[in-house]
This record gives sequence, C-alpha cells and structure tokens, in this order.
Amino acid sequence: MLEARGLTAGYDGVAILRDVNLSVGKGEIVGLLGANNAGKSTLINVFSGIVPAMAGQILLEGEDITHVSAPRRVEMGVVQVPEGRLVFPQMTVRENLLLGGFNATARPNRPRELDHVLSLFPRLGERLGQNAGTLSGGEQQMVAIGRGLMAGARVLMLDEPSLGLSPLFVQFIFEIIDKLHAAGMTILLVEQNLSLTLKHADRCYVLERGVVAVEGDAETVRNDPRTRAAYLGM
Amino acid sequence: MEELLQALVQGFLMGSAYGLLALGMGLVYGVSGIVNFSHGDFVSLGMYLCLAIYTALALDPYVSVIFTLPAMTILGALTYRYLIKPIAGRQLLMVIQLTLGVALLLQNGLMMAFGGQPTRVPSMLESKLFIVGDVIMRAPHLVAAGVSFTLAAALYVMLQSTDVGRSIRAVQQEPRAAALMGVDVGRVQVLTFAIGIGILAIAAALLLPGMPIQPNQGLRFTVITLLVFVLGGMTNFVAIMLGGIVIGVAEAIGTIYMTHTTGQLLPYLIFVAIMLFRPQGLVWRS
Repeated sequence: MLEARGLTAGYDGVAILRDVNLSVGKGEIVGLLGANNAGKSTLINVFSGIVPAMAGQILLEGEDITHVSAPRRVEMGVVQVPEGRLVFPQMTVRENLLLGGFNATARPNRPRELDHVLSLFPRLGERLGQNAGTLSGGEQQMVAIGRGLMAGARVLMLDEPSLGLSPLFVQFIFEIIDKLHAAGMTILLVEQNLSLTLKHADRCYVLERGVVAVEGDAETVRNDPRTRAAYLGM
Repeated sequence: MEELLQALVQGFLMGSAYGLLALGMGLVYGVSGIVNFSHGDFVSLGMYLCLAIYTALALDPYVSVIFTLPAMTILGALTYRYLIKPIAGRQLLMVIQLTLGVALLLQNGLMMAFGGQPTRVPSMLESKLFIVGDVIMRAPHLVAAGVSFTLAAALYVMLQSTDVGRSIRAVQQEPRAAALMGVDVGRVQVLTFAIGIGILAIAAALLLPGMPIQPNQGLRFTVITLLVFVLGGMTNFVAIMLGGIVIGVAEAIGTIYMTHTTGQLLPYLIFVAIMLFRPQGLVWRS
C-alpha cells in the first residue's frame, strides 16, 4: 500500500535516512521502532511530503508519489497523526475534528466520519464545545487520532501516540489501534515502546541511525540482538 | 461636558476605522508572524487610487472601492508571494527592512505619479452632518464606523465558522498540524496578506472624505495602526477594535482640549501608560 524504496532523505542536504526500504501492506499494522534520533519521524514526514526525498521513491499503491505535494497526499489518504499531538489549542474539539476533514476528498464525508470518530471516542462527544487546549493529554491524543480519521486516512501514520500518556490511556490507545486494524485500516505505528508495539504490530522495522537494522515479524525482531543494540545505541 | 461628549463620539467613530486598519495587520501577524511597516503606505495607495479614479471617471471614493478592492487584494497577494515569502521565517529584521523598503517605494512612487502637493478627493457625503442633541457627527465618520464594525463582524464570523476561516486559525495556532491536515500553509499566508491589504482599500475610502492627502502620510497611518495593533494584543479581534476606539478617543480629546502639538501627543502618552500597566494589551486573558 505505502512503500519507501531506496529512500535517502534529511534536512539541509544532510542525509538522516540512508537507502531505506520499507513497505506497509494493505490492512497491516507495521511498527517502526528505534531510539531517539534514529530517523523515525523523518521517515513519516517524508511519507507526508513535508520533508523531501533526496534519492529513492515513495509509492502509494504502486503509484510514484515522491513529488506529490503534501496537501495532495492528504487528499490521497496518507495521513499523519503527529508526535506531541499538536491539536489546535484555541479551537473546540468539534472544530479540530472538522478541520481534519478539510481536504477536498474528505469534506463531503464529514458528518458520517464525525459520527464514526465519536463512536470510537465517546468521551470527545461530551467535550465537543471545549477548547482542545484545555483537554488532558490522553483526550488530546483522541482528538489527534480523530482528526486524522476525519481526513479520510487510508494509511494512518501514528507518531508516538503513547508518548507522555498514563498507562491506562496507553492501553486505551492501543485498543483503538486494534479496533481500526480490525476494521481494515492500514497503520504505520512509530513507537519507542518496544514490547507494546511488538505485541500489536504484524511486522516491525527497527531503524538505527537512519538505516533499517532489523525487519520482520514480532518474533524475529524480538530475538534479534541488533534490536537491543539499536535501542541502546551500541 | 458638551465638548467632552463631542470628543467621545467623534473619537469612537474615527477609532473604529483605526481598528479596521489594525485588524488586517493582526490577521497577517497571526498567520505569518510578520509586521508590515508599509501598512500605512498601502492605505495611501488606496487613497491615491481613489484620486486617480475620481480624476478619470469622476467616481466617488465609496464607489471606487469596487475597483480598488480587487486591485489592492491582488497587489497584496503578489507582494506576499514574490517579496515577503522568499524571506519570511528568516531574521525578523530582514522582513522589517523589506517592508520599510516597500513603504519607501510606495511613498516615492505616489510622489512621482501625483506630485507632493496636498490634495483632496471630493465625496458626496463629505459635508453632510448629523446632529443628535448637542453632538455633531460628520456623515463620513458615521459611514466609517458602520462599515468598520460590519466588516470586523463579518471577518470574525468568517474566521469562526467557515472552512477557510478555520484553516486560517489552524495555521495561526499550529502550522505544522495544519499542513499535516492538508492545509496549504503557503496559500493561507498569501490569502491572509491579500485580505489584510484588501481591507485597506476599504479603509482608505472610509478615511478619505474631508481628509487632505499627501504621498508622505503613510507613516502616520502605520504608526496609528501599530499602536492599535499592540493595544489589541496583536491578534485579538475584539481587543483590536477596542484599541482603535481608545486611540481615536485620545486623538479627539487631544484635538479638542489641547494645543495642537500636545494634543497630537496624547494618543502616544495614553499608549505608553496602558503598556506600562498592561503590557499584554487590552486582552483580558493572554
């Protein structure tokens, strides 16, 4: 569904990712693991089109989208839920969700998609008129994911959705991820939480200093000594 | 007492137009983080466009807006796209210098085209007066206040409850997330700058009746706009309109009660006093 082929990318001419090959199959949850600064966020920002590729290709369902603009990629269903949630603090929960459905493809489906999001996160239904900046971290994460769904995501890229959340909320977010997965959503999950990710993902990639160090199913990744090395930065 | 009431009313009416001037600046600042020091010279340009249209077609400034509004809006879009955008996000001083450069270009361009002599553009309402009790109101001031408040309200509604408005606020509050939701941030910046300059075409026509114009007057408008903009806490619409009224009233009281020079100082003194005690401006929460 979404694929990086021989991808080299970075900022200001400095390559952070080098020759990365990664694919997410339709309906799969793929975990993207690695220590801080391994290049995980850079990779999904390249998928989102806000960091350009220096070499290699990005493919969506086999179509080359390497040079497609960021807004157009959202219309095509490649949607990122950013690290740190980045809700619009002085807009209500409802406005945040509506803005998620801003792109031309998603706009006509907003009422239906809003119902869907509120059924996943009933708690947001009670807070529709409240400014998103006043919500708890967990609730903001719900808004961020809901906003991504409102955008008409066909591939949902979640950047550290469990970061800074209480264990209870972490568990809840992963339940939601499983629910979306069961409904057929394609998910690229960027995480530092190794054990939870291995438990929920179909396959994983471990990035180490911008290079794919390990890839495979949970068992393979868990047992590969390079996984631990990548995490500990050895 | 009579004089005071007169000053208050006149200040309120003029101040609403100052508020309108500053709304455009606030909108642009919120979205792009830049302060446009050529703001007042765009007001001048709007006025001289009215003069040119009056000279050519004998149209009233209020009517000329149908031409000056689209012209200035497009000019605003082009200015942002080709002058400001290439250096936006760099050193703050660079943007300030650039907009100061634009101010000088506009000022001297107007001087070349129209000469340096003060001139007036006649308008149908210019000498009409409304008298309520002891208070005399000039019709152009009433129109200015009415249009300014209507426009401010319309802008507010646009920002609050349309998709375009929400996308503008989204860029204001969290540009990265807005981009990730498919909002073209660059386009929103061009759009808001275009709206900000377009508003000035309307403001120019509102201020023009009865006012002598000169090519070098732009800085005066820029300074008034800056005062109001800062009083309004830079982005808060209601506070900006309120700031406009404060400055308008200060100006009117200064004119009526004081000698020419000290009277002109009053708005600045009041500005400094308010800033000393409320550096966040007239907003109630930061």
